[in-house]
Amino acid sequence: MNAKLFTGMGLALVLGACVSMPQPNAALETARLAVQTAEADPNVNKFAPLDLDRARKDLSIAEDASLHHQDAEVDQPAYLATQNARLAQAHGATKADDARVAAGQVERDQIVLASRTREAENARASAANSRVAADVALNQRDQAVSQRDQANDETARVQAELDALKATPTPRGLVMTLGDVLFDTGRAELKSGAGRKMDQLGQFLVEHSDRRVQIDGFTDSVGTDSYNEDLSQRRADSVKTALINRGVQPSRIGTEGYGKAYPVANNNDSGGRQLNRRVEVVIGGNNGTAISPRSGL
Amino acid sequence: MRKISSVSKLAKGTTLCAMIALSAAAYASSPIPAERIAVAKSSVQRAEQSGAPEFAPVEMAAARDKLARAEKAAAEHNKQSATRLAEQADVDAQLAEATAQRQKSHKAATEFDASMQALRQESQRSTTN
Repeated sequence: MNAKLFTGMGLALVLGACVSMPQPNAALETARLAVQTAEADPNVNKFAPLDLDRARKDLSIAEDASLHHQDAEVDQPAYLATQNARLAQAHGATKADDARVAAGQVERDQIVLASRTREAENARASAANSRVAADVALNQRDQAVSQRDQANDETARVQAELDALKATPTPRGLVMTLGDVLFDTGRAELKSGAGRKMDQLGQFLVEHSDRRVQIDGFTDSVGTDSYNEDLSQRRADSVKTALINRGVQPSRIGTEGYGKAYPVANNNDSGGRQLNRRVEVVIGGNNGTAISPRSGL
Repeated sequence: MRKISSVSKLAKGTTLCAMIALSAAAYASSPIPAERIAVAKSSVQRAEQSGAPEFAPVEMAAARDKLARAEKAAAEHNKQSATRLAEQADVDAQLAEATAQRQKSHKAATEFDASMQALRQESQRSTTN
């Protein structure tokens, strides 16, 4: 600053009396400041360099006029320099904002695209999930319906078969009583009239291979115990043989001769005795459970 | 027809006067005021159409005032004053237009920033969900 001042003073001395220090000029000061401000603005350098060039040119004309004491010629270029410097800043700011928006629009498009893609994927996934869930639900319903129908069918069929066998449910299982009319007196062989009953029972047991069967023989109180027990055992065995002949596995069939035990009627009259002479066929549950032996009652 | 021809005669007369003034003047290199004024007028009109009266009323008023004074000075054959006022009116009008544009761009950019902010948050929320 001092060096410049001395140079200026030296120059002034060399040029002689007509030269003195330039008078301070408000318009010129304003222009210098405006140009400096514009020069310091990064947006101006980036987006409005031509405006800044114009401002500098005007400023240098003003400085030149000031240096040569053409004071009347200073204000106009100084004013133009000031306005052009402001113009540069306005243009720079405008273009910077526009550039930011343009760059942001690219980002916005990407975000929107990504978001739409995600939404579409989510929608597709949830649609697929719904479809799967619906399928599963339908399947389960179908299965349930089918199981129910099967169970209903099975129950109905078993019931029908049991009805045909005239079986009675008891704690031990379903009990079918074969009366003494199927046997001749004192004999263990089944009469031919028993064939139809044996066919029904055998078919049922073959179809329900998970069920066990217990065959218990009983007599009236006439005769010795050993005779009666032997006879009741042989009659039970006859029924077992008949079932084996109809395809029932022997391992599923149990037999027992109880003799005169467990009478179902009074042995004092012939009607009661006839009811006591019998074979009971106990059909077990459909889970293959063993049938407990006769006790009590 | 007569009116037009009288106007064009007047214009011709003005042009002639300006040319005489130009040749007579010491500033032979500076453009004639009519041309300067025409440039300034065009800049003022552009600024008026760009929303400057609303967004840059001070610069706009200055440009209009100087243009009017330039035209008055030209009519009074005050060539130097007309030229200077026309130059100032021109640069003032340009600044008015640029200032209006700057404010419009700034407003648009601010609104855009806000919408982007919302979009980013929205996007982040839907990503984390």
